[in-house]
Amino acid sequence: MTTFTVSPPPHRRSKISIKTLMWGRVAALVPISLAAIYFFGFAALGNIAASILGAVIIEFAIEKAFKYELTILDGNAVYIGLLLALICPPTLPAWMIFLAAMFAVGIGKHAFGGIGSYVFHPALAAWVFLSLSWAQDMLPGTTPITSSFSDMILETGAGFLGDVSPILVLLTGVALIAMKLVEWRIPVTYLLTTVILAVLLGDPVSYVITGTFLLGVLFFATETVTTPVTKNGRIIYGILCGVLTVLYGYFSGNYVWGTLYALLLSNAIAPYIEVNTLPKPVGGVAHE
Amino acid sequence: MSAIKLDKLPEKVILPLKQHDGIACAPLVKKGEEVVIGQKIGDCEGSDLAYIHSPYCGTVESVVEMPNPSGKRVLSVIINPLECADSVDFIPEKDATPSRLLEIIKEAGIVEYYQKPTYLALKPGKRIDTLIMNATFPLIANAYLDSLDKVLKGFRLMLEAGGISRGAIVIRADDKESIKAFKNAKVDGKPLTVAPIIGKRHADYYFEDSEDEIIVLAGGKITYTPTMMNLLSGDVMGRKIPLGYEPADVHVAVCGVKSAKAVYDAVYEGKPYLENVITVSGAVNRPGSVLVKFGTPIKDVIEACGGYKGEPGKVIINGTRVGVAIYSDESPVAKDTTGIVVQTKDEVLRDVSSACIHCARCVDVCPMNLLPGRIAVMADQGMYEKCGEYYALSCIECGDCAAVCPAKKHLVQLIRFSKLQLLKMCAEAEPAEVTE
Repeated sequence: MTTFTVSPPPHRRSKISIKTLMWGRVAALVPISLAAIYFFGFAALGNIAASILGAVIIEFAIEKAFKYELTILDGNAVYIGLLLALICPPTLPAWMIFLAAMFAVGIGKHAFGGIGSYVFHPALAAWVFLSLSWAQDMLPGTTPITSSFSDMILETGAGFLGDVSPILVLLTGVALIAMKLVEWRIPVTYLLTTVILAVLLGDPVSYVITGTFLLGVLFFATETVTTPVTKNGRIIYGILCGVLTVLYGYFSGNYVWGTLYALLLSNAIAPYIEVNTLPKPVGGVAHE
Repeated sequence: MSAIKLDKLPEKVILPLKQHDGIACAPLVKKGEEVVIGQKIGDCEGSDLAYIHSPYCGTVESVVEMPNPSGKRVLSVIINPLECADSVDFIPEKDATPSRLLEIIKEAGIVEYYQKPTYLALKPGKRIDTLIMNATFPLIANAYLDSLDKVLKGFRLMLEAGGISRGAIVIRADDKESIKAFKNAKVDGKPLTVAPIIGKRHADYYFEDSEDEIIVLAGGKITYTPTMMNLLSGDVMGRKIPLGYEPADVHVAVCGVKSAKAVYDAVYEGKPYLENVITVSGAVNRPGSVLVKFGTPIKDVIEACGGYKGEPGKVIINGTRVGVAIYSDESPVAKDTTGIVVQTKDEVLRDVSSACIHCARCVDVCPMNLLPGRIAVMADQGMYEKCGEYYALSCIECGDCAAVCPAKKHLVQLIRFSKLQLLKMCAEAEPAEVTE
């Protein structure tokens, strides 16, 4: 007699798993990383390698020490490490970024409870850690201004690794949205709010649209863990990110830092947005 | 496309004495007794009942507990069928009064696709102005197109029996075969109106314009499963059902294609509810719809479809989304069976659930506009009141959230558990209110 498997429904599921989502994001960051290595040379390569290595090593160490299941293969640590390297200047010594990556995964991710539980984006937290600890080393050589279309393709005034080619970030980010690996609500509202507000306040858009800003829109802001889950909440979150970015950028004149600080603050407000945008079920509630 | 018929007599027929989610019947036959086709073998008393009749003739082997398509063991009558056509006298009653019609429907043991006996669905004791026929299961609807006139007559009888003035038949907009058949069909010599549901143009809009009693509506590309009453009523009639209410509360009754055909058979031919069309899909050699008599073991149905293709790993009753994976293909087909899906060994899922990454995919697909991930987390931690605040009771258990979850969490089961706990808490709280 044949035996049959008995298991709870659903018996057919979408093939997309956390692994797909994370490695998809890593793959989307590969072109910009290659462009950065082409532009900055071995300094960039060293930083990217050190950052990923730091993130993976500390993840391995923590999971071994606490006897958790090893989750390196899900790509989250690699993704955090790569993202951190892209928002740091190439002149940063590799050991510093190695330490920062350890901070990102060790404190930013695991101290808060691992994947799915962190309040602040680990890479952003590590960026703040670096900026506070070695402020001098974190100062970018130049501030990018994308004044012509060629700057969108290769930005010669790039300060951070991620600034070298805004269009690569944009294209891969949009590809992620088109493949439904990233949801459209936050990036669209974030981008629109920022551009509209910047134009209204009289700041040139060429100051705003930089590689780091696009990384922020398409990768940091869409980090699902640190965003509200409600549909309306995500739209409000996108608008909030935009408003804060312009507030920082307008008054400090630096939209690159403005983006990163705005995102960090938005992360903090995300749960508040979520609990205030709980949807009502279809058909309404008869008696409460 | 007509349904495949079983040409071989099964070795053994297992007739569960409870074939819907209601009261179990008591057996009327004993071991060794002879039964004929159409003989009533299960009787019950109460309000939510469906009598059981034998679709085969033969001898009763025993009355024991046997596996049931719902996955549980149920007291069943086991019959050794014989090649004979002896039956009880089927007495057609063409000019029955509405109350007599309802009586015939009850006597025939007809059950709706959503586990409710038809006589209760038609007369729930509340004012009903529209009867919706859910024909959005394309494979099943197509299998009945050959006898469409009978289905339509049965539908008229149901309207008559329930004293309902209007009937709306809902089909899928992409089910071309059904649309064509309904366009050519006639009721009382008049062709049927086939109209689309666009935006706010619901059934009421078309009923106002025409004098027809029955219209056909091509809805979206949704198959309304048994739990999706709220959406069916909302999409077709524009009447959404608030939490805690039934379709009858918004003056809507729902029936299926199968029961309409069964009502026709019961009234015009005097036959009780004996057979049904079910769909067989997945890893079988000839998938399609099969006309099956109740009590036929699933393995005989699979055999009629050309047998298993490859090594079977899982046999699922009633769909891959919310269906039950059965442990034995000896289980019979019952009145509440609509489909069988066979998966090969390789297709069987072996996912391990991991932590939620709050990707909100469940929120985006939820047809009821809930936050499935959040409810599941709180159900997991035993915070059932909190689940209630997140409207866990509105969940229709369609399984969409669990199907898209990248963390492979068992969302449906967690939400279902929180619903059970919430209902239990409500039941415990109620007597206290009465004493106040």
